[in-house]
Amino acid sequence: MSHSDLYAEVDKSAYTNALAKNSPITKTFFALSALLISVSASTFDVPGVVSFIVPIVVFIICTSLTLGLAKVKTHLYLDLFAYPTFMLILSCIVLALLFGSGTPLIEIPLPWTTWTIFKSGISMSINTFLRVESALSCLFFLVLTTSITDLCVLLRRIHIPQVMVEMSMLIYRYIFLFLEISKTMTLAQKLRLKRSGWLSSIRSLAMLAGSLFIRTLDQGERTLTAMNARGYDGEIRILDDFPSTRKTTLLGIVIFDILLITLILVTTNMGVVL
Amino acid sequence: MHIMEGFLPSPWWQIWWLISIPIVIYGIYKVTKLTKKMPEIKPLLAIVGAFVFVISALKLPSLVAGSSSHPTGTGFSAILFGPSITGAISVIVLVFQALLLAHGGITTLGANIFSMGIAGPAIGFAIWKISKKAGIMPMIGVFAATAIADLMTYVITAFQLGLAFPDNGSVFTAFSTFLGIYAFTQIPLAIAEGFFAVLLFSLLSKYKGSILQKLGILKIPTTTNIKKEVKT
Repeated sequence: MSHSDLYAEVDKSAYTNALAKNSPITKTFFALSALLISVSASTFDVPGVVSFIVPIVVFIICTSLTLGLAKVKTHLYLDLFAYPTFMLILSCIVLALLFGSGTPLIEIPLPWTTWTIFKSGISMSINTFLRVESALSCLFFLVLTTSITDLCVLLRRIHIPQVMVEMSMLIYRYIFLFLEISKTMTLAQKLRLKRSGWLSSIRSLAMLAGSLFIRTLDQGERTLTAMNARGYDGEIRILDDFPSTRKTTLLGIVIFDILLITLILVTTNMGVVL
Repeated sequence: MHIMEGFLPSPWWQIWWLISIPIVIYGIYKVTKLTKKMPEIKPLLAIVGAFVFVISALKLPSLVAGSSSHPTGTGFSAILFGPSITGAISVIVLVFQALLLAHGGITTLGANIFSMGIAGPAIGFAIWKISKKAGIMPMIGVFAATAIADLMTYVITAFQLGLAFPDNGSVFTAFSTFLGIYAFTQIPLAIAEGFFAVLLFSLLSKYKGSILQKLGILKIPTTTNIKKEVKT
């Protein structure tokens, strides 16, 4: 799936999932608290020990909430995970092979130097892998269940400056505008045989990029004129009609967070020793 | 260059957050001031934001640290609006990339803002200012500023990763390892981004010169300008 399709899909899922009508405050609170706590757990990492309990628990909970409760399509969820996981594996291999200190695991003699692979390097790499995957599952829960507009309203509620919220909404809109116009223009160029050779396709790409910028800018200026004509006074008003937040759910999340912190404290030093 | 969600261990992600926040707040203050003064600048600000989003999502996988190689686009934004406003815009862009593409993350946002939104553009902006003072052709200035802003972003990222994952206890060895891996893909990309920025800049000055003039980037000989010069 190409990038542009992927974020259109994510956007669609945010509006159509089973939790779309639930309070964004609850969803954001849950996802961000789980994210911050699970990432902070790395403070207790011990070199040479793979601590797998907390990240796996967080991953399982977030994934089952996303797929089970919010009923997000499984293939979309997997598609989202595919690219970051691929990059993560590459980076973790580098970490495992080149980094670390302390007890060596293997020493490979090379003509000019000895290449040492350390136990702590391996454990650091596996810990990092687990931490990133669990953090991603928290983040994906948030994006797949909560729309960007809701998040913008939320930002306004916590008194993020007006201009930033407004810029976020404009940028969000223009990203899609950018992609739309570029699709049309690429098609137009293809129809006019502008992609026939290597050199002409480079020239076409430069032309596309340049005129894309100008065209989007023109469109943006027209939007502003239209907004001014409709009484725009420097504030984009969106209806702030969040569904009410249930106190019991919030309490449940707080209890979950406390349990998670306890789990982290209890499982310090626990894990697979390399 | 975006460091992946959760990739930086504690305490590094918190430290980068703390470093970035005051600068971003200053940036927000500058954006508020600019948009109050010139409301018509908003579409350009937003387009530049969308442009940074799209251009920095064109990524090549890099072997380093949950990360990738890509053009940044923030150097161009720094030339147009200055580094502090670029910092504020890049916060929005990086949050969207983290949310929509899993490119970067919320915990690593502080580190990513610092490298792509603050340090890179600030250096690019300094180069642009110096080249302008020295009277070098604007196109060469744009090329140097954007290409170097792009490269510096990666130097800073390598430094952040080196601090978080010291090799055998040495930050410097780790830094040079990370930098070495980045250099493969990033040097050609930075040059390409420089050329691309020159093209965009020339198009903007051709078709939207009035905006560049209002931002005080270019002086275009219009009748009002010539009249002013004649008077003084």
